[in-house]
Amino acid sequence: MEDEIPDVDDLFGEDYPSPSQQITEESAAITDSNPEPNFEDDAIESLMQVEPSTPQTEIQPADAEFMGEKGGVVTGRGRMEAAFGTGDGDEVATAQVAQVSSEVQTGTIFHQVYRPWRGNLNSRWVRNWSILRYHIYGLFSKGHKPWPMMTKLVIFGVLIASIGDLLLLTVGAATGVEAIERLAGISRGNLYGHVLSFWFRNACTYPIVTALIIGGMISEDRRNGTSALYFSRPVNRRDYAAMKFLSVAIILSVVVLFTLSAYYLGAILVGGEGWSYVMDTGLLFLGAFLAGGLLVFTYTSIGLALSSVSSGKFFPAVAFIGLILGTKMVAFLIWALFDSSAIYLISPYDNLAHVGQWMLGLNHTYEHPASWSLVMLITMNAISLYILSARVSSLEVTRE
Amino acid sequence: MYGPHVAIDEMSLKINSGATALLGPNGAGKSTMIKTLLGLIQLTSGDGEVLGYNIRTEGDSIRQRIGYMPEYDCLTPEMNAIHQVKYCGELTGMNTNVAMQRAHEVLEYVGLRDQRYREISSFSTGMMQATKLACAIIHDPELLICDEPTNGLDTKARGFMLDTLFQVVKQGNRSILMCSHLMDDVEKICDRIVMIHKGKLIAQGKIEDLKAIDREIEIWVWGGASRMEAALNDAGLTPRRTGRVMRVVRQDETTYDLVLELAAKAQVQIRRMEDYEPSLEDLFLVIMDRLGYGVKSSADLLQSQPPTTSVAPAPSQPGGNF
Repeated sequence: MEDEIPDVDDLFGEDYPSPSQQITEESAAITDSNPEPNFEDDAIESLMQVEPSTPQTEIQPADAEFMGEKGGVVTGRGRMEAAFGTGDGDEVATAQVAQVSSEVQTGTIFHQVYRPWRGNLNSRWVRNWSILRYHIYGLFSKGHKPWPMMTKLVIFGVLIASIGDLLLLTVGAATGVEAIERLAGISRGNLYGHVLSFWFRNACTYPIVTALIIGGMISEDRRNGTSALYFSRPVNRRDYAAMKFLSVAIILSVVVLFTLSAYYLGAILVGGEGWSYVMDTGLLFLGAFLAGGLLVFTYTSIGLALSSVSSGKFFPAVAFIGLILGTKMVAFLIWALFDSSAIYLISPYDNLAHVGQWMLGLNHTYEHPASWSLVMLITMNAISLYILSARVSSLEVTRE
Repeated sequence: MYGPHVAIDEMSLKINSGATALLGPNGAGKSTMIKTLLGLIQLTSGDGEVLGYNIRTEGDSIRQRIGYMPEYDCLTPEMNAIHQVKYCGELTGMNTNVAMQRAHEVLEYVGLRDQRYREISSFSTGMMQATKLACAIIHDPELLICDEPTNGLDTKARGFMLDTLFQVVKQGNRSILMCSHLMDDVEKICDRIVMIHKGKLIAQGKIEDLKAIDREIEIWVWGGASRMEAALNDAGLTPRRTGRVMRVVRQDETTYDLVLELAAKAQVQIRRMEDYEPSLEDLFLVIMDRLGYGVKSSADLLQSQPPTTSVAPAPSQPGGNF
């Protein structure tokens, strides 16, 4: 194979200088200092307008200043050094790379380190307690359910209004005015009135408080998608609905049942009553307490059912008030026209009132049997709980 | 079953530890798959285990060990981030104080250290995604399920989110199951994919292995690309052409010689010819093309439902018909 490779001389011929020679000679010419330009060719001179080169003198103004140093020359190299650092680029290069976690020094602003957690997770009841606490503590402190300020104020206002009879009783005892004591003292009518009087407790306060509480209880989870946070964790739907129910019921119980208990205990303490008084009135209080419990349960189940079918808090709140007050008004109008109290069966409030009258042994203001109202009450609660469970089952973890 | 529909059918798959992507067009059954893995759907037939727990009977235990990052908003806008994350920890079963301490840690990890007391309603999309991630990892789950984690993020936030997820896998030694239609994201995080279509498994395995299924040769031609295309078609190589660049399936070692021969006959210059390294996007499109979807990018699949006229029946065999 070597024989087939032509020699350089064969390619260029002996008379012609080899490429290496040519380069050497040319380079020698180039490296000659101050080569004389050839001005003999006039044509070329006229075309190119070549002027004799003159050695350029470097201008170094005495007042020049560059990078803080006077007298320096602002050259291209200087600018490059300013931009990219000093040196000719042949020094040993070092690269600055991101530090690993073990080498983090002072001055690191943010270093992302995943820290594992090896704690124990608690049982179902602790998780349920956290849901309950989230909703109830939210009324008092930050970091839990963000209840609107209006809701908090209304609950506080109704709470104060609900202990109005206790305050009146205290005033009566303090002043010694018997009329006030008789007016505000423990009786069937007053116990019933504390829980089930239409004016003003069930016309104004209790339904409004309930509406404000249930408004966003489930509907906001649907709207914000927070249901995904619950159900992608070990919280089952039954526990979720139960804790929501319990949260609403506890808040309502504070307003209705706690104030009823405070009223009864206050009456005993303020009047200095003994055990015989407790024996006489204890059953009445128990009846009122059960009637109040039934009211809390019914309002909660209807309210949460409405909340679960919506994705906003306005509709459930308005629908609840409309249902409680609207059915009452419709029943009243029809009763006034046809003189039949059975129409009151459509009204949750009237069913509660009727059953409450029966529990406290009061004269019934309705003509139909109390058992009908009880059955209707059970039916309403059953339907509400069914809607609640069905709608909670439809809450999504992922969106289709 | 999902109502009257069969949502997942004949699916037999094993997802190993590490980062796995769950891919498929709209309506493929990805969400149903996630719900099944979370133990939220009662199977009508079949069985499965997640992290060693039965998906039929031990849903609570599974969800205690899984972190789920939903695609859509799932945060309470009026809360601040620290309390939202803490509450998520409590819902998983953490003590209040422990949950608060851990919430600080994970919010720092996801880059929200300075924003943790800000109200969520004032957060940007990237910050909300980061908060959702913090909620998902507060209890240090063994498996993290992320549904479109980079949805709605700009380039910078997207890069940070991907880095963060990557570190969960690498630093935390945790597993991730990631749903995404962004193949670049998937390739950055995941080394395996599970591809489903119409509730059936059509591909699963390592991305590198799946890419090797359809090896292609990329040919850059000059002077007569149409003649070359016709010659390749006549030879049965069925090129895919974009201008002067065309790709043919590499059938065997002789494909190169065949292409050169055809080029010579067609009097076409071949400027460059090399094995083409397909991206996951390419792989996805090839599979979708075989299933009858006329899409040009994976993003198209999110825009509309598959065409009813050209949808081929899904493969009957689990694992697909590659």
